[in-house]
Amino acid sequence: MTPSVGILGGGSWGTALANLVGCNGHDVLHWMRDAETVAQCNTYHTNSKYLAGLSLSPRVEATTTLSRIGRECRLIIVVVPSQSLRGVVGELGNDLDGGHLMVHAVKGFETGTFKRMSTIIREETPCKKIGVLSGPNLAREVAEGQPSATVVASKYREVIEASRKVLVGPTFRVYGNSDVIGTETGGALKNILAIASGLAMGLGFGDNTKSLLLTRGLVEISRLGMHLGAQERTFSGLSGIGDLMATCFSPLSRNFQVGQRLARGETMEQIVGAMNQVAEGIKTTRAVHEYGQANQLYMPITEGVFKILYEGIPPRDVLSELMESSRYQYEVDPEIGVD
Amino acid sequence: MPDLTQSRIFHLNDERPAIVADVIARTLAGVGATDLAIELAINDTAFMEIARLEGDERHADRLQEWKELYRTLGRRGREEKDHILKDLVSGYARDIVGNFDPRVYRFATGVVPRGLTLLFKGQNSTVGLADRITLQGHTEELKALVNRGTVILTPTHSSNLDSIVVGWALDALGLPPFTYGAGKNLFSNFLLSFFMANLGAYKVDRRLKDKLYKDTLKHYSTVILEKGYHSLFFPGGTRSRSGGIERKLKLGLMGTGLTAYINNLRAGRPNPNVYVVPMTINYPLVLEGSTQIDDYLKIAGKSRYIIEDDESSKLGRIVHYTKEVLGFDGRMFLQFGQPMDLFGNRVDAQGVSYDMRGRPIDLRKYVEVNGEPVHDAHRDAEFTRELGSAIGEAFSRNNVVLSTHMAAFVAFELLKARHPGLDIYHLVRLPGDTFLELAEVYEGMERMRDRLVIEVAAGRILLSPTVQSESIEHILRTAQRYFTMYHEKPIAALEGERVRLNDVKLLFYYHNRLTGYGLESLFTPRQEERVVA
Repeated sequence: MTPSVGILGGGSWGTALANLVGCNGHDVLHWMRDAETVAQCNTYHTNSKYLAGLSLSPRVEATTTLSRIGRECRLIIVVVPSQSLRGVVGELGNDLDGGHLMVHAVKGFETGTFKRMSTIIREETPCKKIGVLSGPNLAREVAEGQPSATVVASKYREVIEASRKVLVGPTFRVYGNSDVIGTETGGALKNILAIASGLAMGLGFGDNTKSLLLTRGLVEISRLGMHLGAQERTFSGLSGIGDLMATCFSPLSRNFQVGQRLARGETMEQIVGAMNQVAEGIKTTRAVHEYGQANQLYMPITEGVFKILYEGIPPRDVLSELMESSRYQYEVDPEIGVD
Repeated sequence: MPDLTQSRIFHLNDERPAIVADVIARTLAGVGATDLAIELAINDTAFMEIARLEGDERHADRLQEWKELYRTLGRRGREEKDHILKDLVSGYARDIVGNFDPRVYRFATGVVPRGLTLLFKGQNSTVGLADRITLQGHTEELKALVNRGTVILTPTHSSNLDSIVVGWALDALGLPPFTYGAGKNLFSNFLLSFFMANLGAYKVDRRLKDKLYKDTLKHYSTVILEKGYHSLFFPGGTRSRSGGIERKLKLGLMGTGLTAYINNLRAGRPNPNVYVVPMTINYPLVLEGSTQIDDYLKIAGKSRYIIEDDESSKLGRIVHYTKEVLGFDGRMFLQFGQPMDLFGNRVDAQGVSYDMRGRPIDLRKYVEVNGEPVHDAHRDAEFTRELGSAIGEAFSRNNVVLSTHMAAFVAFELLKARHPGLDIYHLVRLPGDTFLELAEVYEGMERMRDRLVIEVAAGRILLSPTVQSESIEHILRTAQRYFTMYHEKPIAALEGERVRLNDVKLLFYYHNRLTGYGLESLFTPRQEERVVA
């Protein structure tokens, strides 16, 4: 009997992935904390909280029993918020061995340690065969069957092959590569840019501004990524610029919404209180800002978003600082030539 | 005392014909059976040998033979090609295989240490090598693991004395000798070759670049690991030229550990496990330090991979070194690191592997597909890369800071700070006499020790007892004594209230032992706070 594919996390992306694998004809064991959602998934094959109005594959079995995942699955895809990953995976680790293939689709760094998600999985489990899934994947669009693609990066081909086998279908493609660091950084950092993009839109700016933000943002992401050991070309792929475009152009993105609402004058408390899902970019901004400061990396956009989110400086003030400061006026960027 | 003669290595000579036959068979099988594969293998060897021998007068005949073969290979029949290949591989295997002579072993472990002791003990007749070489760290685990599987000991490598020192240490711990691959060039060193050739060392000819030779070598290593011969790998590949702890490791031979493990599982052998024990060898002064740093400072690409004429080939220098360095109260430290499995996980004395959370791991699962242990070149290369990183990190954590390293680090960093913008090539050629104020050296060493104490608490490095608990003055005096004893000229000398730096190159060499810990920041002028716009 082929083992089920394990999916951890009952949010929109976890549910969309579970559904995708189920629709491709594989059994899925889907772990989530909320017993009510489990009951709804198993009885009605829906998840009204996160993917309202869509019917899900009947091959997905939801459960609240974490230990079943390790015992019954070989390929496990982790889709929980970045700050809960260590706890969940640490507990899961009791039932794992070196044969398990672990893929995470979590975009963020651990606050305080700035550790990547794959590093945490390594620390909390006996697994070595670890990968990351990341790309321009707005959960609802994938769940609706719109054509899209993602990247699975791992040093171990086994991980990429097993992921492709269950994820690839008529509307979904999977590209493999070996740059785990680049794929993880691209996915995590674009959330900061998504907030920035939402801010710019909320302030009523147009396409020039958005393009400026995205292009310079990508340079910033690559700079940090390469500092961490990523390959530059990864950032021009699906998990880099691809993900950046989807997130920054889409009002569906939670991080984009955070920026947009801040621009309209709402406070952080109001925004966070009103959301039922985590906007990873908020915590990522702090983690990246602190890391950049400590390592003297030049990251003006992150710095600006940090000031808005954490220091309460009005977005317009930060923007004019970014545009007017003499620090940036004659900037020469050796990475992409004079601009 | 355990009966060492039960150890595998004492059976090497009996087993030798079987080992050679096995290595030949595996290498030939690896080439493949098609006409094309065989021709390509021979062709590669011929090409590499011609490139190597071209212009070498001494091997003109050999070169002609290769050229002839290279030209006519395509016209030769299958039977002849089979024959040529077999001859080549057999020749390689016989050249590589080691020898073990129990008489030499008894001599090496009995007479030689006493002789060495005579060299340095002087007045104090109670002093022995054990007073001069400190063995510390996870020695108990090592002793237990040799009975539970095959052990690969992976030391840092800075001197040709390393294999001798490790050999002595294993004996002192009551362990049998480990086999290891020694550069063939070392066998021309009369002193080393006598012991190596008879104590199970096998020959590695670094001049041979063809795939066939490298494969034969890997098969040899795999076969002996499978058979339970504990081995010594220097994962740095060669002696560290810079004086630093190795951070980039050569993984070619290291991969044979995993191949052997999987083969053991597939064959259902008892004790299939292969354990890795990283260790650091910490000398206050290095026998070949001078030659090595010269070599390091040569423009990249011109440095020599094989050095045949250094201090280790001169008996006089070795005697001088032993007398001086071990003479007074000189002490070297052999630090045995935490044993690990082939996947970089911690292993306890019972041979059980643990994940980072301390949960036991079933190793088989890493290499199984559908319940069967299998080889997978790509996966295994990645496992080996991870193991390499784990060993590199272990080297760094098990580095023992000695007075010479600390003093050299501080003096060199102070010199560097005084001449901002000058690179090492300029620093070693500073005109005139170079002095540091004694007060600034003391002050720098104080700061350095404060920081080292923090690093030790975080488990990132280790300190010798002197560096740990003596006064700064004492540490500097100890270093100064070393600096004036063995090398051609005193590296640094105290002159009143100043320290004269005579040999910046060697200062740099001993300084390099402590790079990679971010300690340089203690001596760089504080960067201005970044202006936040």
